[in-house]
Amino acid sequence: MPTIIAAAAVLVIALLPVAAPWLQFVLTLAIAKGFAALGVAVLLRAGLISIGHAMFFAASAYAVAFLARAGVNDLGLLLILSVLGGALVGAVAGSFLVRYRAIFFAMLNLAVSMVFYALCAKLYSVTGGTDGMPVPVPAVFGVVLGEPAFKSVLFYLSLGLMVLVGLAVHRYLNSPLGHALSAVHTNEIRLEYLGIPVWAVLLIAYVVSAALAGLGGAIAGFAIGRVVPDFAFWTASGHLVLIAVLGGIGGVPGAFIGALFLELLHSAAVTVTDSWNLIVGMALIIVIMFMPKGIYGLFARKEATGL
Amino acid sequence: MWNAIVPLLLDSLASAALIFFAAVGLTLVFSVLRVLNVAHGSLYSIGGYVAASICLFIASRQLNPYLSFLALLFSAVCVAAIFGPLIERGLVRWTYGKSEAVQILITFGLFLILEDLQRVVFGVQSFYEDAPMRLLGTTSVGGVVYLNYQILLIAMALLVVVGLRLLINHTRLGRLITAVVTDREMAQSIGIDTNRIFIVAFSLGVFLAALGGALATPTSGIAPGLGADTMVLAFAVAAIGGLGQIEGAALASLIVGLARVLAIYLVPSLDAVAPYAAMLIVLLIRPYGLFGSVTARRI
Amino acid sequence: MTSRGISIGVSRYLSSLERLFRLDRGVPQGKVRWAVDGLAGALALGVVAATPAAAQDKPSALRLGIFTFTSGPAAAYGMPGKNAADLMIDEINAKGGIGGVPVSATYVDEAQGAQGVIAEYRRLAGDAKNQVMVAALSSANCLALAPLADQLEVPTVGWNCDTHQLLMDGKSKYVFRPNGNTVPEFIAYAIYLLDRKPDLKTVAIINPDYAFGHDAAKIFTAALKALKPDVEIVAELYPKLGSPNYQTEISRLTTARPDVVFSNLWGADLENFVRQAAPRGVFTSSQVILALGETVLQRVPLPDGVIVGVLGDGWWMSPDAKNKPETVKFAEAYKARFGEYPVFPSIKMANALIYVKAAYDAAMQKNGGKWPTRGELAAAMKGSKVETLTGTAQTRADNDGLVDQIVGVTVKTPAQQSPVIGDMVRYKGDSLMPQAGQDPLAWIATLKPEFAKSLPKPGSYK
Repeated sequence: MPTIIAAAAVLVIALLPVAAPWLQFVLTLAIAKGFAALGVAVLLRAGLISIGHAMFFAASAYAVAFLARAGVNDLGLLLILSVLGGALVGAVAGSFLVRYRAIFFAMLNLAVSMVFYALCAKLYSVTGGTDGMPVPVPAVFGVVLGEPAFKSVLFYLSLGLMVLVGLAVHRYLNSPLGHALSAVHTNEIRLEYLGIPVWAVLLIAYVVSAALAGLGGAIAGFAIGRVVPDFAFWTASGHLVLIAVLGGIGGVPGAFIGALFLELLHSAAVTVTDSWNLIVGMALIIVIMFMPKGIYGLFARKEATGL
Repeated sequence: MWNAIVPLLLDSLASAALIFFAAVGLTLVFSVLRVLNVAHGSLYSIGGYVAASICLFIASRQLNPYLSFLALLFSAVCVAAIFGPLIERGLVRWTYGKSEAVQILITFGLFLILEDLQRVVFGVQSFYEDAPMRLLGTTSVGGVVYLNYQILLIAMALLVVVGLRLLINHTRLGRLITAVVTDREMAQSIGIDTNRIFIVAFSLGVFLAALGGALATPTSGIAPGLGADTMVLAFAVAAIGGLGQIEGAALASLIVGLARVLAIYLVPSLDAVAPYAAMLIVLLIRPYGLFGSVTARRI
Repeated sequence: MTSRGISIGVSRYLSSLERLFRLDRGVPQGKVRWAVDGLAGALALGVVAATPAAAQDKPSALRLGIFTFTSGPAAAYGMPGKNAADLMIDEINAKGGIGGVPVSATYVDEAQGAQGVIAEYRRLAGDAKNQVMVAALSSANCLALAPLADQLEVPTVGWNCDTHQLLMDGKSKYVFRPNGNTVPEFIAYAIYLLDRKPDLKTVAIINPDYAFGHDAAKIFTAALKALKPDVEIVAELYPKLGSPNYQTEISRLTTARPDVVFSNLWGADLENFVRQAAPRGVFTSSQVILALGETVLQRVPLPDGVIVGVLGDGWWMSPDAKNKPETVKFAEAYKARFGEYPVFPSIKMANALIYVKAAYDAAMQKNGGKWPTRGELAAAMKGSKVETLTGTAQTRADNDGLVDQIVGVTVKTPAQQSPVIGDMVRYKGDSLMPQAGQDPLAWIATLKPEFAKSLPKPGSYK
C-alpha cells in the first residue's frame, strides 16, 4: 500500500479523537482487535484457519490483570510481560497444534480455546469467574496518571505500536520465513522435499500470531478496564477471522482496516438498530463471495493474496 | 456416593440424548458434503423456537395437549423443508471445492445472520412450553424422581441411531449417499444426481438439528444465545466421534454426557470444562476422532 | 456543527486522495471509489453519531442512563425493572418533572456483555446531558462500572447492586446503593429458616455461578453455621448463568436428600428451575428457599410453604405498602399497563428513581434553585434518608443503604390469582448490617444464637 496513503491514514486516525473524544475508546479497541486479526491473518497465509485465537487475546489480558494484582504497576513492563505470556501459551499450544491441518487444526484450536474459556469462567476464586478481574490504571514510566490522561497515552501508544509492529510483521511476511508460509499453503510436501522444516516454519508463525493476539488483548484489557472470560469465547475468535478476511489478508494494513471499519460502523449502527450481527454476517458473505481479497485487496497491487 | 450410581447413569443417558441430536446432523452433513456447518447450532435453536411457538399456540387455543407431541415433529420437518434446500442451494453449494477457510467463514456469516433473525422473529425474551413434559408424568428410580419425558428422549435418540443406520444400509437413498460419500466424482460420472443427494443430506441434517431443538424445549427453556452454546458442544461431540461417523457421534455423546454429569456430581466447579477437556484429550490421542480415519494426502 | 464540517472535510480529503495518488492504477475505478467512500462514510457516521451537544444551564430534558437486561434469560427480571422505570418517569413527568425539567431515560441492555456495557457507560457519561446513571442489574456489571463511575465522576445509583463487594473499601464518592446489601438479605433468610425449622440438619445450595451466587452462598452458610453449628452443607452447585437445563443438577440435589434447598437463582433461570424441579418432587421432599422467588409468583405455579422474600422491603402487598396511597396507585397503574403486579425489581427501580429525584430536590435546595452539577448531586446523595414506595432508604457514610428485610412463605389465597406472601416478618435495616468497613464474614462469625432470639418472629409483620 503506498506509504503516503498509509501515513495519511494514520494521521487522520490520530486526529479523530480531537474531533470526537469518545471515539478514542472505540479506536483503541479497534487497534487492539486489529493486532489480533493480524495474528489470524499470518496463519491464514499458510492456509491454516484458527477459530481459537481469542484464547491468546484473553490470556494476555488475564496476565495483565494477574500481574497488576501481584503488584506490577508499570505500563511498559505489563505490556511486555503479558505479550511474552501470550507467546508462551502460543508456543506450548502450537507445539502440538501445528501438526494438524485444515478442519482438524481449526477444531483443535477451538477445543483448546474453549477449555481455556471454561476454566476462566468456572474458577471463581482464582479468576473471578464470569465477573472477570479488574485492570487498574498503571503508572507510565513512573508517572501516575489520571484515568483520562492514561487513556490518551494508551491510544497514542497503540497507534505507534500499530505502525512499528506493522512494519515488523511486514518485514517478516516478506522474509523467507513468510514466503514459506504461502508455500505451505500451496504445496506442503514439496516444501519438505526442498529441505525446509514445515513444522518449525509453522510453529514460528504460530508463536508470532499468538504474540500479536496477546498484544491486542493487553491493550484491550487496559482500554476496557476489566477482563472477562467472554474474551476467549469461540464467537470472539470467529469475529477475529471475520475482521481479517474483511480487511484482506494480503498485507498488514488489511487487518487494521477491517478492524477500524467494523468498529466505526458498529458505533454508528448500534444507535439505529439492534441487528448488528445480521449486518456483519451479510457483509462477511458478500465480501467472501465478491471481494475475496478484502478491502485491502482493492488498494494493493498484485501481491495481495486472498482466500 | 454409591446410591448415586443409577441416577448418575440415567442422567448421563438423558444428557447424552440431547447432545446427540445436536451433533448427529453436523456429522452427517460433513460426511456427505464435506462442509462443517457453523450455523448448525442456530438451526437447533430455530427448531426449538418454532416448536415452542406452536406448542404455545396449541395451549392458547385450548386444543388437545397431546397435539404438542406432533407439533414437535412437525416443527422439525417444517424447518428442514424450508431452511435445508434454501441454505444448501443458496450458500453451501457455492463453497464446494473452495478451501475450508471459505466454508467455515461462509457458514459463520450464516450463523450471525440466523442469530439475529431469531431475535427479530421470536423476540428476545425466553420461552417455555412444558406441556409434553407434564403429560408424561414421572417415575421414581432409586429414590430419585425422573421425568418420563427424559426416558422418551433416550428412546428417540436410539431410534435415530438405528434409523439412520438402516437408512444408509438398506435403502436406495442410503446406497446413493454412500456412493457420493465414497467417491464424489465417480458417483457423478455414473449418473448419480449428486446435487439432489446434497440437498437431501443437508436437509436431513437440518431436520435432525431442529428435531433436537424441538425435543429439548419441553425440559429446558429457550432463549437467545442457545445456538452459540449448542454449536460448540456439537463440534466437540462430532470431533470426538470422528467427523462423519454416526455411531461415533452416539458414543461421543455418551462420553461427553458422562463427563459433564460426573463433573456435576463430583467436582461441580468444573462442570462446564468437562466436555471440552474430553474433546481435547480424545483429539490428542486420536486426532481424527474415535472412529475417524485419515484420508490420503494427495501430492 | 463543527462535527458536520469535520466529517464533510474528512470525506472530501479521502476522495481527493483517489485522484491525487492515482489509486485507480490497475484497479477498477468503481470498486475503489465504493470502498473509499464506504470508509469515509463510516468515519463520517462515526464522528457525527458521537458528538455530544454542549450542556446548557437548565437542560430541556433530564437524561438518565438506565442499565438493565432487556433481552435473554435475565430479561424476565430486567423487564419489570424497565417497565417500572417507564411508569415512574411518566408519573414524575405528569407532576411536572424534576425541578420543572422533564425526565427521559436511555436504556442500556446489559445482555451485550461487560465490554458493551462499559462502552455504553463511557459514551453516555461523555455527554454532559446525562447526569445520573442508574446501574446496574447484574452484580458483575455493578463491579465493573463502579471504578469507572468514580474515575469519570458520574453519580451512579446501583438499583440492583446487592453484592457486598461493591462498597467494601468505603471510599467511593459517586457510587450509591440505596436498595440493600447481600449481607442483611441473606442473613434474614438464615434467621427465618431457623425460626421455622429449628431442627434442620442438611442443606443443599444451588446458586448461579457469579458474584451474587457465590456471595449469597457464603453469607447464608456463615450465618447458619454461626447460629446452629451442626448444620451440614451436603451439596453446592453453581450452574452457569442462563443455563436452560437443570435436570442433572436436580438429580444431584435429590440424591443428597437435604432438609433444605436454598437457591438465589433468578430470572428465566429461576422459572426454568421451578418448572423442572416441581414435577420431580423437590418441593415436597425438602423445604425450599427461593431468595428471589417473589419475582416468579405470578409466572410459575409455586406450591405453598416455599420461603421467599423480596431482598429488601419492596413487596407491593406489604402492610406498609398498602398503607401508602401512592404505592397502591403505582401498583394498580402497573397492573393496568403491563398485565401483572409489580414484582420487587420493579419496586427497586421505582425506589431508585425516587431516590434520584430526592437528590435533585435536596441539591437544588442547597444551592439556591440552580441546576445541580454532577458533584452536587453526589454530595446530596451522601447520607440521605429518602421515603420510598415501601419504606425508607437510609444512606450510610460509606454510601451503602439501610433497608428493612421482608421474608415470608408462599400462601395461596382466594383473593388473588397467584400465591402471596404470608407469615411475614420485617427485620429492621440496621439490625442485620455489619458496621461500615467491617468484613461481613468476620462479623457474621461473631453472631450467637441469642442474636436471633432478639429479632422479630415469623408472622409478626401484619
